[in-house]
Amino acid sequence: MAGTVIGEGLTIEGDISGDEEIVIHGNLRGRLTTTDAVTVGGTAVVGADITGASLSVAGQVTGDVTASERVDIQAGGKLVGDIKAARFTIADGASFKGNVDMEV
Amino acid sequence: MTETSVIGAGTIVSGHVRGQGSLEILGRVEGDVSVTGNVVIGPAGRVRGNVSGAQLSISGHVQGDLRGTEAVLLEPGARVAGDISGPRVGIAPGALARGHVQTDGEPAAAAARAPAPAARPVAPPARVVPAPSPVSPTPIRAAAPPPLPKVEARPLPKVEARPLPKVEARPLPKVEAKPLPAPPPARVEARAPLPPLPSPRLPPPNPEARKPEAPRVPPAPSQAEFTPVRPIKPEPRRPPPPVVPVISKGTKAKKKKSHD
Repeated sequence: MAGTVIGEGLTIEGDISGDEEIVIHGNLRGRLTTTDAVTVGGTAVVGADITGASLSVAGQVTGDVTASERVDIQAGGKLVGDIKAARFTIADGASFKGNVDMEV
Repeated sequence: MTETSVIGAGTIVSGHVRGQGSLEILGRVEGDVSVTGNVVIGPAGRVRGNVSGAQLSISGHVQGDLRGTEAVLLEPGARVAGDISGPRVGIAPGALARGHVQTDGEPAAAAARAPAPAARPVAPPARVVPAPSPVSPTPIRAAAPPPLPKVEARPLPKVEARPLPKVEARPLPKVEAKPLPAPPPARVEARAPLPPLPSPRLPPPNPEARKPEAPRVPPAPSQAEFTPVRPIKPEPRRPPPPVVPVISKGTKAKKKKSHD
């Protein structure tokens, strides 16, 4: 079970930090830092730098991403920003714009 | 739309949280929380900021104002430092509240869904509440409402009806009756000393006339008694009769000039 869930109708303006999984279906503007997995749902709109163990994007993300394990952009997902991760996948139908650094 | 959001126990949000749906806070939020649905703050939840929602159920700590459009419920273990307002406010034994509590509010949202609960009397002021009382919340709610209507109904009619007629009727006749008799004696006494003053002035010019003047003095007071009110009133306005004979202006200067 996800530790933190940001529902579809919810908007957070500010920083989120923690040590547990975070699932976002709503809006976030600010910064997101966790030591666990981050999931951005299909209805989510995120304008934030994201730091976590892994990131899965099905919605829209604008910001730099740093993941200690992996980053996956799902079909229909959109990511604009630089990515720094050991493993990185882009599904067919996803859109991405930015630099990739896989030397972690 | 009414999806429930959760801020986990290990999550810290520093910023504002707002939007639609319900929210469950198990972690920390440093900022205002404003949602259209219910807000549940768990025992480990910490919020520093104002919280507003439909129904607030607080079990954690809140430093800020609580505003519930339907209800605000402080569960045992809750600590709230801030104002609380809502159509229904419940503070359970074991909850701590410090601040202003207001139970009127906008029952519109609550009335639409369930008129009965909205009409229920709300808990009494927060100051009374501080947990120690072992009484359950329900009796407190039942006891609170009756005193309010009684207090308002009694004082209003009494205050308006009594004071007005009494105050007007009594003072007016008394004030008019007393002053009239009192002043005349005082004035008569003052007149008596005045007549003797002119007598000494008269004698100096004619030493022989002193004897006849003495009898004249006694009749003077009798005249003053008869004519008390009219002549006496104008006299006090004038300056008291000069003890030293009046010297017309410029006489001293003329004398000095003449001496020089």
